[in-house]
Amino acid sequence: MSIEVNDLHFSYGKVKALSGVGLDLEEQAIGLLGPNGAGKSTLLRILLGFLSPDEGEGKVLGYDIKEQQSLIRRHVGYMPEDDCFIPGMDAVTFTSYFGELSGMPRQEAMKRAHEVLYYVGLEEGRYRLLETYSVGMKQRLKLAQTLVHDPKLLFLDEPTSSLDPQGRKEILELIKDISSKKDIQVLISSHILPDIEAVCSHVVILNKGQIAAQGEISKLKELKYRLYEMKVKGEAQSFLEKLKKMGCRIEATEDMILKVYMRPNKNPQEIFRLASEERIQIRHFVKSQSTLEDLFAKAVGVD
Amino acid sequence: MTIKEKGYSHWEGELAEKKLPWWPITRFGIRSTFRKKFFKFFFFGALLPAVVFLVGIYISERLEDFRFMIRNQTNFLTVDPGYFKSYFTGDFLLFMMVAILVFCGSGLISDDLKHNSLQLYFSRPLKKGQYFLGKASVIFFFLFLVTLVPGLVFFIMKLIFAGNFKFFASYPWLPLSIIGYSVLVTLFFALYTLFLSSLSKNRRYVSILIFAVYIFSDIIFGIFYGIFRSPYFALISLKVNLQQIGAFIFNQKLPYSIPWIYSFLIIFSISLLAAVYLKNKVKEVTIIK
Repeated sequence: MSIEVNDLHFSYGKVKALSGVGLDLEEQAIGLLGPNGAGKSTLLRILLGFLSPDEGEGKVLGYDIKEQQSLIRRHVGYMPEDDCFIPGMDAVTFTSYFGELSGMPRQEAMKRAHEVLYYVGLEEGRYRLLETYSVGMKQRLKLAQTLVHDPKLLFLDEPTSSLDPQGRKEILELIKDISSKKDIQVLISSHILPDIEAVCSHVVILNKGQIAAQGEISKLKELKYRLYEMKVKGEAQSFLEKLKKMGCRIEATEDMILKVYMRPNKNPQEIFRLASEERIQIRHFVKSQSTLEDLFAKAVGVD
Repeated sequence: MTIKEKGYSHWEGELAEKKLPWWPITRFGIRSTFRKKFFKFFFFGALLPAVVFLVGIYISERLEDFRFMIRNQTNFLTVDPGYFKSYFTGDFLLFMMVAILVFCGSGLISDDLKHNSLQLYFSRPLKKGQYFLGKASVIFFFLFLVTLVPGLVFFIMKLIFAGNFKFFASYPWLPLSIIGYSVLVTLFFALYTLFLSSLSKNRRYVSILIFAVYIFSDIIFGIFYGIFRSPYFALISLKVNLQQIGAFIFNQKLPYSIPWIYSFLIIFSISLLAAVYLKNKVKEVTIIK
């Protein structure tokens, strides 16, 4: 198992940040989601060995999170959210510098720096001073320094923040390649749900310090409910009330489309029957794909 | 951008704990300091007193050859612990050391704070103490080159020029004094600089602070001393405190009639406060926001 934690508890004074978190992750790409204050940062801090849990235990890549923090940081790669670099360095020096700090011999670190810079698409600008880099280049550089010591597990914190659509697409393409073809596991913490959906097969959703949902994204979406989109004509109030009584969750979008989340054991024909009873015309009805956003909203209790 | 399939392959080597994990930080710090405009000018300027004192040691052993130059001022060329004290506590050398600190030390932490580099350092197997040691070693390197190294060279050259061990027999404790004072002044300046460097994200402000605190502490002492004539105001001045300690270590008369231990306590307290502040200012856990 790459990440295995049991019953983690952690408090900042009186504020409980994590409460009974248990994870057993071995998938190649995992999304870590949660609203602000859900405990994502605390969990990452514990997994990287910066905080020791009040209760519970765990291992990252087989190293104990309480005893072998230094070994964990030697064998994982961490890509911070913030724009970070060292002025006065070029990309090769920068990347090899962090390779050395991870424990690589100097010559090897230099060689690897060239390789990973080529891989992330910075081969042409690798001798330029980092101060002259664009936001997109800095983001790729951060990814390069994360990869230089060939980690088995990457923690990526908001890897696409502040990128334009093209830059975002390129970084996601890289992350997807890393997780699917390079045998490196990736844990992505992000608020941009479509990014997670594009890259990860599995997701962990935290809310108020607890696991709100975890598992394979497609299964999580399927098992919980089915989603239908419809447009209606007529006085729909009573119709909607009846749908709610039937156990459906209704969401109205800005363009007057009603999203109906229905339990899998219910028959969608019930919707038409109710509409007929209430003399409501259904003018548009499609079975929709529920998005990760829907799942996230449901898991953290946001309607 | 296309993904370069050939560009990534797994590394066959093994990551290992190094004996000096902080050394890459020091090496980069030294290199980047040498690349700075005017640094070499100041650095070689700081070595000038060493050259002058070394020539003085040579002349002291060849007085007969140089009598036409020095006439009756032979006292000037008496090489004894006082001679070493004059080198180490000279105003010019201390000033040049502060100038070196501006070049090599002002950005050591402030640049990392400004560009969020701490996150990158501490996501590696690097402890906070190792990070500070790597940064402080940049200062150790440059200051030892103008204190410890010349001091020991003076001592060795004195023995070589004299051709005997009489000087060593007279002052066997002198090498320890050289090492002791060099370590003390370097350690103090390293903590002083790292502390000021951690106060701001702007290295220019830090540069000004490094100079200003040193110069103004001396100016304020001068003003108060001029008005009240009390030697205790010397405790305000960083420079005078270092000179008091230097005089004690080299077994010379103190420049001001106050106990040297007061100056030592002042320097020690400043160093301690700086160390405590640094410990609390830089926290590994904050790398994940």
